[in-house]
Amino acid sequence: MKKVIALLLSLTLVIGCLAACSKSENNGGGSSNSGSNSGSDTKDEITIDIYDDAANFNGEQVGWFGKIVKDKFNIKLNIIAPQVVGQDVYSARTAAGNLGDIVILDPTEFNDCLSTGLIKDISADIWKYPNLSQYKGQIETVNKGLPGNSGQIYAIPCEMTNTAANVRSEDTIYSSPLLRWDLYQELGAPEIKDLDGLLDVLKQMKDKHPTNDAGDPAYPFVLWKDWDGNDGMIGIANVVQLTTWYGEKIKGSAILKPDDTFTPITDKSAGYYKILKFLNKGYQMGLVDPESKTEDWGVVWGKMGAGRMYLMWYSWQVGAWNTQERLNDGTAYIFVPVQDQTYYADADAYYGSGRLWGIGSKVDDAKYQRILEFLDWYASPEALEYQHAGIKDFTYKVESDGKYMAINENANMDNLPVPAEYGGAGYQDGENKINQWIVGAVSTNPNTGEGYAKGYWSHYKEATSGKTKQEWQAKFNAAEPIDWMKNNGKLLVSPNVAVSLESDSTDSALWRNQCNQELCDASWKMIFAENDAQFDQMWDEMVKKLDSYHFQDLYNFDVKKHTVEVNAKKAVK
Amino acid sequence: MGKQKKEIDILTASAKRKKRKGKIEFLYILPFVLLVAVFSYYPLYGWIYAFYDYRPPYALSQVPFVGLKWFRTMIENEEKVKDILRVIRNTFAMSGISMLFSWFPMIFAVFLNEIKCRPFKKFVQTVTTLPNFISWVLVYSIAFSVLSTTGAVNSFLSSVITDYVPKDFLSSSEHVWFTQWLWLTWKNAGWAAIMYIAAITGIDESLTEAARIDGASRMQIIRHITLPSILPTYFVLVMLNLANFLSNGMEQYYVFQNSFNREYIEVLDLYVYNLKNMNGYSLSTAISILKTVISITLLGLTNKISKLIRGEGFI
Repeated sequence: MKKVIALLLSLTLVIGCLAACSKSENNGGGSSNSGSNSGSDTKDEITIDIYDDAANFNGEQVGWFGKIVKDKFNIKLNIIAPQVVGQDVYSARTAAGNLGDIVILDPTEFNDCLSTGLIKDISADIWKYPNLSQYKGQIETVNKGLPGNSGQIYAIPCEMTNTAANVRSEDTIYSSPLLRWDLYQELGAPEIKDLDGLLDVLKQMKDKHPTNDAGDPAYPFVLWKDWDGNDGMIGIANVVQLTTWYGEKIKGSAILKPDDTFTPITDKSAGYYKILKFLNKGYQMGLVDPESKTEDWGVVWGKMGAGRMYLMWYSWQVGAWNTQERLNDGTAYIFVPVQDQTYYADADAYYGSGRLWGIGSKVDDAKYQRILEFLDWYASPEALEYQHAGIKDFTYKVESDGKYMAINENANMDNLPVPAEYGGAGYQDGENKINQWIVGAVSTNPNTGEGYAKGYWSHYKEATSGKTKQEWQAKFNAAEPIDWMKNNGKLLVSPNVAVSLESDSTDSALWRNQCNQELCDASWKMIFAENDAQFDQMWDEMVKKLDSYHFQDLYNFDVKKHTVEVNAKKAVK
Repeated sequence: MGKQKKEIDILTASAKRKKRKGKIEFLYILPFVLLVAVFSYYPLYGWIYAFYDYRPPYALSQVPFVGLKWFRTMIENEEKVKDILRVIRNTFAMSGISMLFSWFPMIFAVFLNEIKCRPFKKFVQTVTTLPNFISWVLVYSIAFSVLSTTGAVNSFLSSVITDYVPKDFLSSSEHVWFTQWLWLTWKNAGWAAIMYIAAITGIDESLTEAARIDGASRMQIIRHITLPSILPTYFVLVMLNLANFLSNGMEQYYVFQNSFNREYIEVLDLYVYNLKNMNGYSLSTAISILKTVISITLLGLTNKISKLIRGEGFI
């Protein structure tokens, strides 16, 4: 009996092996055939690994965007996302000597990879491609800034624009106080003098509307911890963003003040302390959602969409709530000025947002050409329309004057099925998961003469200029939030420059990370401090602890690092 | 003479055979030796990172050798020593508590065995064993839906008590060690009891029958027969647990940690992991070497105690 089983097992094994062999033979044969007569339209299918610091999705790009790339280039995109699978993938892949066929990296990481030979020199070929060549000036300037680089091209910046380096073309800025217009009107639209005034307004809103329409508890402040310490800053992301309301910008452990001088983040007279205190006052008044302690970004996004958050501060947050309908019936979120504030805003990312595209040094010649072809298309108006506007006749339509107008605005929120020619399936599922573009949405689309995203389209502005906008314009006597700021001298635009920042040594990386964790832990506790005395005691303890983690050394390092950038900005101003 | 030579020949031949047999028999344990070598000794090579200024993407050959720098960093000032002592304290406290309550699964098994209604007994056993197969991430999501401010417990309390202010149990820094032990027990007790249930099944029926005829009550049977019979199993398991005293599982504390409870929940393994995430590869390697040193000290200590009590050690 045993023998029979053994025989059967070994037979299955042999058959299995044979099957596997024959299968691979077929594959091999197939590819060599198509390889021999490969013209520009019948290329082998290849998979490109994209190591992508910006992606929130790990795996193969599927859905309608995947289909477009596959049909056009016969390329499959395999996205490797450290944000999803953990930072270990970076150490593991760099140790193996091949980070990816395409890499999208933060500048300091890019410099490290460049100096370890992981990035390919693309100087010889890049200007053969027309779309990339349109940004020649910017690309060359950024590459000149790379450390130890003598004129070669390694990097393509992310989200460059074809506008200018010292203007802000958008109607809103990245962070400013945004209130529900109807709730603000209900209180008689009082003038808000300072942060205490803002707390008063929020308190009244909360008292009048303790829940949203569905009866779920709503709060002025809903916080989340997911992004703490990201993007080269230390401390709680929610606090760090709000410091820009006073013209300050946090650069690592240092705060860049409006007069271009630095002060430590632990300075009690500077923004971080001020905003932390503001949130703590909010907590003491019962305005902070108690779930803020443990909830994550996904939960918070749901709450925004359900109207359970009365104060928003990122410009994109309104996307969770503001629809054409709500803009028109006056229930949308919109900027409400606080009199003592001056807002910091980054200029258009003419030289890119800082992140960089590169091609891995290990790709072979055939793949290299196809990657460049793909990247060139990725920077073309055709691809940019897919990225920023979506699918024609599905998320936008072309009006009689040739300009665009948004349709199916809930395509992303409700994951609507896309037309069959794009492969069906959900719109959101199939969106471009690379989540990073070569050219930003604010750039001018040559097909329409307007920006790429719907917020810049005249038809869309017209359609959404209903009650919210009209009442707002009447009260503040300006067309858009940014116009009010400009008219009243409340806007500081920081020019976009192309400089390369020094990367952390092992020492400064450790100082940074230990200080960051201590600062975040202490900040969260301070937001939930029961009284001012406890708050200040925690602050002092934290400062003492930070000193033992070499905060002073870190601060000196950061000041030195960012002075280069500040000087470059001064030169542009 | 010839006979003698023949005998010697036979002897050497048998010795040779024995030797060859010995060699072949050695091959039997070779896989296990290899296993230990690959998974326990080879990783020690990684200790080399503690002596370099390592950071990815640079290779070890591209970064400077720094000697004992990271060991000095560990204790360079009072606050950092406090940090190390804090995580060691947390590790000892949480392992200590589970050690202290290690009899719990045994008692649970004994009482479970006393349940006469078979379906109910099976039901209890299945329900208590199942959590062992759930990952800690899922345990946390269960904890979140039960204990968050809008979770089951708070919803219930606010419906019963008027003016109840929801309490966020998960971010509380009070009784962290004890609540973590509770979660661990909830997850593991049923599984740990299986061993004891097997031991109880192995007890000679005639003992209990004789005791019953002699008029022993249920409690007396438990005390005088069941417990003494399974105590050896208990001690073996305690010994095994002792070996894991410092490695008390990072996953559990990793999913439960937050800014509010980190002071009490960060155990050695989690501390090493958190540091590594901060790009402190070299420092975290240095600290894990420290952990090994503590482990060896503990081992020596236990061995000494064993020698004192039993007259023989185990090394």
